[in-house]
Amino acid sequence: MWTLYKKELDYYLNNPIGYIVVGLFAVFANFLFVKDIFVNGTTSMRPFFNLIPWLFLVFIPALAMRIVAEEKRINTLEILLTLPISETQIILAKFLALLTLVILGLILTLGLPISLALLSKIYLPEIIVGYIGTLFLAAAIISLSLFFSAQTKNQVVAFLLSVLTTFLLMLLSTDFFASILPKTLQDLCSYFSPTYHLQNFVKGVIDFRSLFYFFSFTLIFLFLTIVDLEKRN
Amino acid sequence: MIQVSSLVKRFKTKTAVSNLNFKAKAGEIVGFLGPNGAGKTTTMRLLLGYLFPSAGVIKIDKLNPWDERIEVLKKIGYLPENNPLYPEMKVREYLSFIAKIKEADNLESVMELVSLNQVREDKIEELSRGYKQRVGLAAALLGKPEILILDEPTSGLDPLEQEKIRSLIKKLSQEKTIIFSTHILSEVEDIANRLMIINEGKIVYDGVKPKGRGGVEKLFKKLVKTNNY
Repeated sequence: MWTLYKKELDYYLNNPIGYIVVGLFAVFANFLFVKDIFVNGTTSMRPFFNLIPWLFLVFIPALAMRIVAEEKRINTLEILLTLPISETQIILAKFLALLTLVILGLILTLGLPISLALLSKIYLPEIIVGYIGTLFLAAAIISLSLFFSAQTKNQVVAFLLSVLTTFLLMLLSTDFFASILPKTLQDLCSYFSPTYHLQNFVKGVIDFRSLFYFFSFTLIFLFLTIVDLEKRN
Repeated sequence: MIQVSSLVKRFKTKTAVSNLNFKAKAGEIVGFLGPNGAGKTTTMRLLLGYLFPSAGVIKIDKLNPWDERIEVLKKIGYLPENNPLYPEMKVREYLSFIAKIKEADNLESVMELVSLNQVREDKIEELSRGYKQRVGLAAALLGKPEILILDEPTSGLDPLEQEKIRSLIKKLSQEKTIIFSTHILSEVEDIANRLMIINEGKIVYDGVKPKGRGGVEKLFKKLVKTNNY
């Protein structure tokens, strides 16, 4: 599995696309946060963590769109599936490679909390928990994007399906959605939104329900992708 | 070594392989002949556990390719039709990647055997078709598999390259079971010691190849009446 993980990671690291996507993510994340910090006059990282899901919405599907779709298009998936490696190992290797890239992108944003710490007092545990929540969110979106990448040979279709589905899930916890739904449905819909669960982490709280949500979301989509590969669709 | 009984594969409305039965043992070079869409690639993919059969049994050294997929795949080297490769990788990098997955220790000897040393640091996308085919063949040979399944190994190659691949297959046959599919009838005459002809998913001939130049062609034309060959 680690051989395939390394190969996948090498693909992005030896290819401009990896640097462009991760670099752009870091530039946008840093810029969008910094541009408001002096306006708001706040030294909290909460606006940053609230911004991250909207960046992930585009950048993670952009990284993940090729990961299975391209293998299907050029038929190298047949090579992988006829090597002594299980479908689970294939998908986990790809998942972990993408997660590593997102971690690299997030490392490039660590200058923000360091700068804030130099400017004023920060509450470090809240920031650490915020980053942990962000990682869980990334894992969930990666698993979803991986699933859509496995559904098609067309990278653009994989990208659009991932963005659209993630966007709809994120919409579920917005005020817009709350205003058009009856109260009983609002809570239910919010529960299915990854941004709703990220809020607990942003506040510095590790909520068991949110942990369960992110774990189950990620595992379900990884499982569905593995089953899809096993079915040789 | 390979035992296939009552093998059937259906795709929605089409039956690709119908009631296939055959055995292949060590040292045999089985030439798998048939017109387009006859079921050659499907049969090969079934042997590898890449496809699941609708009915029937396959045993590779008494192992089932679906229940014991990893163990079976350690015994088989496979060169797929059209030889898909990762174009962005260098030759040695690609073969080293496959060798690590197969836990193979014969990378250097395989590269020597298929004469890839002079292009070892070249990107696969920059290679000629002949070299690409050699890379695919080298990947199949990593891990010293007991069985080689080669789907049209000389397809699209010039006569010189075809000859090189053929002599390599002959060289390998002493210690391995080789099943190869081809459209080139003379290729079967050249290298196979057993002939299997498949048509519309059914084996219509399984036995020794006919003697004499053009014998395979005569037999094939007699058994397979088709316009798409």
